[in-house]
Amino acid sequence: MSGQIAIVGAGPSGCYLAQALLKLAPDLKVDLIDALPVPFGLTRYGVAADHQGTKAVTRQFARTFERQGARFFGNVRVGRDLSLAQISSAYDATVLAAGLSSDRPLDIPGGDLPQVYGSARLTRALNEHPDAVTLPDLGAHPVILGNGNVAVDLLRILCKNPAEFDGSDLGPGPTAWLAANNIETITIVGRSPAAKAKFDPVMVRELRKLENIHVTMDEPESSSAPEEQKKLQALHDLNGHGTGSVRVNFRFGIQPLAVEGDSRVTGLRVAAVESEEIIGATSLITAIGFMSDGDLNRDTLITKAAPQQGGKLDERLYSAGWFRHGPRGTIPQSRADAQDTAALILSELTIDPARMGATIFAELPDCTDYLGWQQIDRVEQGQSLPGRCRQKITSTKKLINVAKQRGQNL
Amino acid sequence: MKVSVLYGTETGNAEMLADDIRSALCGKHDINCINLADLDPGALSSETFHVFVCSTYGDGELPASAKPFAEELARTGDGLSGIQFAVFGLGDAEYAETFTHGSLKLAELLKSCGATQVGERMTHDASGDCLPEDVAVPWISEILNQFPVHSKEM
Ligand SMILES: Cc1cc2nc3c(=O)[nH]c(=O)nc-3n(C[C@H](O)[C@H](O)[C@H](O)COP(=O)(O)OP(=O)(O)OC[C@H]3O[C@@H](n4cnc5c(N)ncnc54)[C@H](O)[C@@H]3O)c2cc1C
Ligand SMILES: Cc1cc2nc3c(=O)[nH]c(=O)nc-3n(C[C@H](O)[C@H](O)[C@H](O)COP(=O)(O)O)c2cc1C
Repeated sequence: MSGQIAIVGAGPSGCYLAQALLKLAPDLKVDLIDALPVPFGLTRYGVAADHQGTKAVTRQFARTFERQGARFFGNVRVGRDLSLAQISSAYDATVLAAGLSSDRPLDIPGGDLPQVYGSARLTRALNEHPDAVTLPDLGAHPVILGNGNVAVDLLRILCKNPAEFDGSDLGPGPTAWLAANNIETITIVGRSPAAKAKFDPVMVRELRKLENIHVTMDEPESSSAPEEQKKLQALHDLNGHGTGSVRVNFRFGIQPLAVEGDSRVTGLRVAAVESEEIIGATSLITAIGFMSDGDLNRDTLITKAAPQQGGKLDERLYSAGWFRHGPRGTIPQSRADAQDTAALILSELTIDPARMGATIFAELPDCTDYLGWQQIDRVEQGQSLPGRCRQKITSTKKLINVAKQRGQNL
Repeated sequence: MKVSVLYGTETGNAEMLADDIRSALCGKHDINCINLADLDPGALSSETFHVFVCSTYGDGELPASAKPFAEELARTGDGLSGIQFAVFGLGDAEYAETFTHGSLKLAELLKSCGATQVGERMTHDASGDCLPEDVAVPWISEILNQFPVHSKEM
């Protein structure tokens, strides 16, 4: 009899954890459960369409299912379709790797105006997540609030011309939306000074390839710390770049005070170094972090447990990835983490043959499996338009229908 | 011949490729895979042919799992005479200026410590169309064919 492990969430941290567990103990039964009918989490629905190289990690995840024997149970939302208690009692160990999928609200006056859009909402729509709402009209002067890689992803995508998406999986809807926008300026606003901005220098360097933009900023200060120097150098090299039609202005070290406007956003009031000012805006995109969507009671679970080694929350209950650490950390970090967590789980595992395991999914009529995903993958790649490597199926219902035709030659 | 595939990685693609190389060559050679994070430069041996498979991060830097090895090598400075190696680089041509510089830096470092590079450094672009194993396996087979003896016993 081998142990049975449930991983809730089939994003990078869940997949890496399955990979690590099965490498250490190939006899384990490792089941990945996801609310979506398809696996891979933010690798499919967060990582930018024009960064296909990063998405290549899904080849490793595919092997975890195809060669290491991990199983996929899709379209099962834990906390709604099944409770955490049900999962937990069916498995010898359960790992919560459900990520953080909601936008952190902008907690200043006016932060709830209709033209304030969270980056999760926007990146979901750009990536054709099945639960995405339609892409909004950003107007001529969007302001991006935040200085992390997600903010730079959004900036880059909004500034690219259609040809710069060749080879990506950007869908026809988002492609048309980008082509139709009438953006004249984008201001990107960060709270911290340039040297402490969270984005990687390489993300800033990439902006120098864009043809459509003209970049301005106050010449950033200097620093003696090597990591900070790299960032400042990248910004310095970007300053003045391009003669394109979209003017991009970087602002650092300013505190947002309020969103201006009665029923529509007209600006962002900020405290700059010496004075207050209003940055004119037709919309505000917040890239200031993510939080739990509430299906799993993360706050209670995490606070109660805080902070245990290897992501342990309770007896037979563990956490991984963004669910464990908060919305920080990249794909490589989830891999390093997975190896520690896997070792801890195995060192504590006690096997109870009476546990039901995957039979608890038998009652769920629309549960999808890995063969279903392979069918979806084939169809999506097969129907890609010129200049694209994939055309995603965008509705949950269609995804499930295609998954049910698993193994058939469509 | 004894072959060690040594990989430097962050997201695991180099490890996966190292595994693929091992599977493809295991009938012909006595071959194993080691993460550079688990290898001391002093353990490199002239009895073994070394294949480095290494990705690139940051601004053309080595991936995390290769850094301690490279630091140790840079610290000791020499001592690799008699060591033969080949290098395969993983990268992403989106990073045009630093494409596969991690593997380039590693090769330069090994040579500066006295090791001998065999064959051309080969690279793979993660955002391109082909699979790394389809590039790497013929490349390394060709290199290993240059050696007079390739039975398992050597
Ligand atoms: C816009 C964006 C771009 C990014 N770009 C990069 C990049 O280029 N490179 C990089 O290294 N990192 C990038 N990251 C960070 C990277 O995506 C994360 O480090 C990583 O995805 C975290 O993995 P995770 O598995 O913890 O969470 P996720 O990837 O979010 O996976 C969580 C999974 O859990 C599922 N789930 C959620 N709730 C439930 C539930 N109740 N029941 C069942 N399943 C559930 C979700 O459907 C999802 O599939 C980016 C992040 C964002 C937001
Ligand atoms: C933050 C980051 C920086 C990168 N920098 C470079 C780079 O400078 N040059 C390059 O060729 N590839 C770069 N890459 C691409 C990786 O080398 C490529 O994705 C590779 O396949 C990763 O292999 P690994 O999984 O073994 O680490 C970068 C990737 C990331 C995520």
